[in-house]
Amino acid sequence: MSDLVDDLRAVLGDRVRTDGAQRALLRRDASVFEGGSAGPICLCDNTAEVQHVVRTAITHGRAVVPRGAGTGLAGGAVPLGEPVVISLARMNKVLEVDVDARIAWVQPGVVNLDLSKHLAPLGFHFAPDPSSQQVCTIGGNVANNSGGPHCLAYGVTNAHILAMEVVLPDGEVTVLGGLDAEPAGYDLRGVFVGGEGMLGIATRVAVRITPNPPAVRTLLLSFETTRQAAATVSSVIAAGIVPAAMEVMDQRIIIAVENYVHAGYPTDAGAVLLAEVDGLEGGAEIDAARIAEIGRAEGATAVHLAEDENQRALLWKGRKTAFGAVAQVTPNYYLHDTVVPRSKLAEVLDRVYEIADRHDLLVMNVFHAGDGNLHPLLLFDAREPGVYERVHAAGAEIVEASLAAGGVLSGEHGVGIEKQPYMSMLFSDDDLDHQERLRRAFDPACRSNPGKVIPEGHSCADIQHLRTVPEGVWG
Amino acid sequence: MDLRIDPDELVTCMQCGLCLSACPTYRVTGDETYSPRGRIALMREVQDHEAPLTAEVIEAFDTCIQCRACEPACPSGVPYGHLIERTKETLTDRRHPRLRSLALRALRMPRLLRFGSSALALAQRARLVPKPLATRLGLPQRLPVRRSAHNTSGRDVYLFTGCVMDAWQRDVHHAAQRVLEAAGFGVTPTGDLAPCCGALHLHAGLRSESLGLTAAVDSALDPTIPVLVDSAGCGAHLKDHSSLTVYDIQEFLADHLDRLPEVTPLDLRVAVQDPCHLRHVQKVHPATRAVLRPFVREVAELDDDGMCCGAGGAYSVLEPEMSGQVRERKLDSINRLTPDVVASANPGCSMHLAAAGVPTIHPMQLIAQAIDG
Amino acid sequence: MSLDAFVDEIGDTGPVSVAGARTRWDLGGTLDPSARIVTAPTGVVEYLPDEMTVTVLAGTPVHELSQVLAERGQRCALPDRGGTVGGAIAVGENHLEVLGRGTLRASVLQVRYVSAEGRLVKGGGPTVKNVSGFDIPRLMTGAIGTLGMIGEVILRTNPIPATSIWVESSDADPFTVADVVLRPGVILSNSATTRVLVEGHAPDVASAMEALRKLGTWNECDGPFDCPPHRWSLEPADLRSLEGVHVASIGVGTAWREVEQPRRNLPGPVVEISRRLKSNFDPTGRLNPGRSVI
Repeated sequence: MSDLVDDLRAVLGDRVRTDGAQRALLRRDASVFEGGSAGPICLCDNTAEVQHVVRTAITHGRAVVPRGAGTGLAGGAVPLGEPVVISLARMNKVLEVDVDARIAWVQPGVVNLDLSKHLAPLGFHFAPDPSSQQVCTIGGNVANNSGGPHCLAYGVTNAHILAMEVVLPDGEVTVLGGLDAEPAGYDLRGVFVGGEGMLGIATRVAVRITPNPPAVRTLLLSFETTRQAAATVSSVIAAGIVPAAMEVMDQRIIIAVENYVHAGYPTDAGAVLLAEVDGLEGGAEIDAARIAEIGRAEGATAVHLAEDENQRALLWKGRKTAFGAVAQVTPNYYLHDTVVPRSKLAEVLDRVYEIADRHDLLVMNVFHAGDGNLHPLLLFDAREPGVYERVHAAGAEIVEASLAAGGVLSGEHGVGIEKQPYMSMLFSDDDLDHQERLRRAFDPACRSNPGKVIPEGHSCADIQHLRTVPEGVWG
Repeated sequence: MDLRIDPDELVTCMQCGLCLSACPTYRVTGDETYSPRGRIALMREVQDHEAPLTAEVIEAFDTCIQCRACEPACPSGVPYGHLIERTKETLTDRRHPRLRSLALRALRMPRLLRFGSSALALAQRARLVPKPLATRLGLPQRLPVRRSAHNTSGRDVYLFTGCVMDAWQRDVHHAAQRVLEAAGFGVTPTGDLAPCCGALHLHAGLRSESLGLTAAVDSALDPTIPVLVDSAGCGAHLKDHSSLTVYDIQEFLADHLDRLPEVTPLDLRVAVQDPCHLRHVQKVHPATRAVLRPFVREVAELDDDGMCCGAGGAYSVLEPEMSGQVRERKLDSINRLTPDVVASANPGCSMHLAAAGVPTIHPMQLIAQAIDG
Repeated sequence: MSLDAFVDEIGDTGPVSVAGARTRWDLGGTLDPSARIVTAPTGVVEYLPDEMTVTVLAGTPVHELSQVLAERGQRCALPDRGGTVGGAIAVGENHLEVLGRGTLRASVLQVRYVSAEGRLVKGGGPTVKNVSGFDIPRLMTGAIGTLGMIGEVILRTNPIPATSIWVESSDADPFTVADVVLRPGVILSNSATTRVLVEGHAPDVASAMEALRKLGTWNECDGPFDCPPHRWSLEPADLRSLEGVHVASIGVGTAWREVEQPRRNLPGPVVEISRRLKSNFDPTGRLNPGRSVI
């Protein structure tokens, strides 16, 4: 073991962490999952260092797990077994911005919101805006093909990545994709995005930058029921409007959020719809008016238009910090992520409330309604004995209900450890076998973040074995 | 081991990680060990899971600047300030850093402090203080040998003068008093009446000493008179722990802008550096801008979201390396803005920045200059 | 023909290929003459305008699909050059109006294809947003049938803008158009003339036109240029130095020219992954023998 650390330190020096408590920190990401434990933690500064770590790990027969800010919610960065952890957080430079070509080359550790702030003086931003954007990194966005409220109109991360320099699982460095219109060959770039760190590690990323729209209208519509809010969302799309974002929050979450941000969310409403349209003045005005009209027809009790940028920012702050704000209610939560057809939103939501009730759990709902992307939050206190069993049982039923309605397992959090057991509910053996064939083409030796996404029986990794690495091999 | 942290407070963190980018030490290291989420997880490892207090763990706690920028970033309302204060306190008790507590004890003895400071100033003039030591101690380039005396002009407000600041930066107090008087307030400088608020002691983990000093301030002053503080660190501490009515001086003046005289603004582009204890703890940083705006050509904003400058009370002396790295980040931001001068409402921050060659001044000094033409 | 019958026809042995309308029949090399040629099933299976999705069989002509969508005021990202849905996806090229319609790859939500072993395999999912498992639809798009034979896809659709006009100018700099028009449908230049598709709400189109007039004189025109036969993929910046007869898609990098684009070499590790993909998905090399994207 010390050979491994010595070899890593030969290039990284003191940026290899081995202390037990420090390694214990990286047993987790922002999810409730724990796996094995972190091996040596390598804080890399450049591509050559990442390559060195990957090659050294191979030499010593160890797997690697890449990590950005550790804000993932599906356990994608949770180490299984005792892999070498490669932290990309220090690689946080915006390398080049080409406004003419609308491209920026960035390192993977650049924080999503920092990139947009960096681009703001030029009149551009990076469109994917996950709720954790103040912290999460571009590398993490690439790994998870991250979404966010504004992906309804702008598309998820994959639509905004043009090319990447990657360190492949065998330690080779190459570029996937290209800046040209239609790069030659298989779309390895497109496949790599959303690869959850199992296809290699991106070390430089060419992202598309999006011009800031000159006009934005943000509407807050109040309803008596979540059902009415969901129906409004369907009607807006049916009317041929694709807003920049459409987000719904139920009453419980409105109260928690309002307590934290004081943005003027109506705590007496059964649900709110936060809708945003952007573009040019004329069109934004037309769409905003249509949405207000549709909302009223669906029973909106109030329609409020954000008066200025300040109020708009506050409303969005409330939406984006909603998950954390629930801690005022209970110390722990489990955030689910499934997608259902928009027309089934109301029906599935009713099921979600019913499931939570039956398991004696408090549930709050805040979600990307425009995409049909549900985010039920199950609230609990981890100190209560047996509570995890109930939380997981309810979670499983929510996934089942979503799939039964014609939905999918995850809209933006990824599969990681969390959704792995459910993969065979959505995919046949043949389907899963083909996903494994894809993975093996990138990583024949099963070295990169093994044991995630693809379930036992189809995966190269012996997942049971990975989960039972004995404690204390570090002494 | 028991860090004596309230388990109900420790359980509030759900590890979402939204604090990471607000933390200056995480920002410069990219290492979760030096982040609020990481430090809380370490507290749990130590307190709940009997992890050993290794050098790495202790360093993780020691390197926290206690800027508390993570608190407003935390949607769960984790009382991080309490958690780290308790942790530092427990570790201090355990390590008996006698020298450090002795030095801090001197702060309650104003005459001794001023005598020592003047002696140091003379030594500085005689070039007896080696530069590396002066830098390490974060000393101003020219400590004052003599200070002009405080004068009481009335009993509308107290001006809290404190310990180190009174010895090293009495000019700031005089400027603050000048501005208050221009606004028609009669001022009583607290001087030796209430020598030290105890903020630095609590920062260093000396809880009982700290609270003793705060209690002494409370009993020495008339509770019907508002206490104005021109040091953000002292103000935050007094607001938290004293029973008196405490205002940051900018906060107080922002409510009385109409009483300030109309004068020709100084022809300066001023960058506002928000002391952490003004921005993240007292949350009154908009007042600094409101008060400055009529008196200077331009108030300009740094682009680093109010990130800590690395001063952190005695932090710059105790953790010079990390403190320097954090300051570099602030200097980059200042260099991008190219202001004529940086206004900082905390003595620690201004000394820390001045030591890196940044022209730094207290907002009250700028306003006093504008008023006096 | 049903999807099941298609699966049976592909079978599990012997070289095989699928013919659409043969508009790009020679792409990726000449098909080995031993290959049996199968056609894909046709028809729109399910169209859900409110979900902005359509399920369609691979043999369906693109223009038929476009008609079905247009009846409900929607459109998709597939180019209509007389070919089929499956053919367009296997080729992977974008619609000429890619700035307005989005890329083809982003619009393919789910694929069901027949594997080399003769099994019906599904990748992706039916919803507009989905990260469940690896992105098999991206892999199949543009793979010219070398990894699996596409039988059915679910595509994302989008509303047709309320107003759209084509305008042309002979004095405006095409490279400045994107600075003044927020979301153009496409910007084309043949070096003498610039043509722009302006679309959106009527007032937005009007204000875009006002902005365009600051760049030059504009007149309404019928549509895009007739493009030369050979499609080139370039970086947008390369278009500035393009010589000879051509039409260029400004900001995108696609150019149409009289000569073929020289073969673009892939980096060694990319070739290696591509070879492994081919041998993992088609171990006996029976799918579209003679053709390759590598």
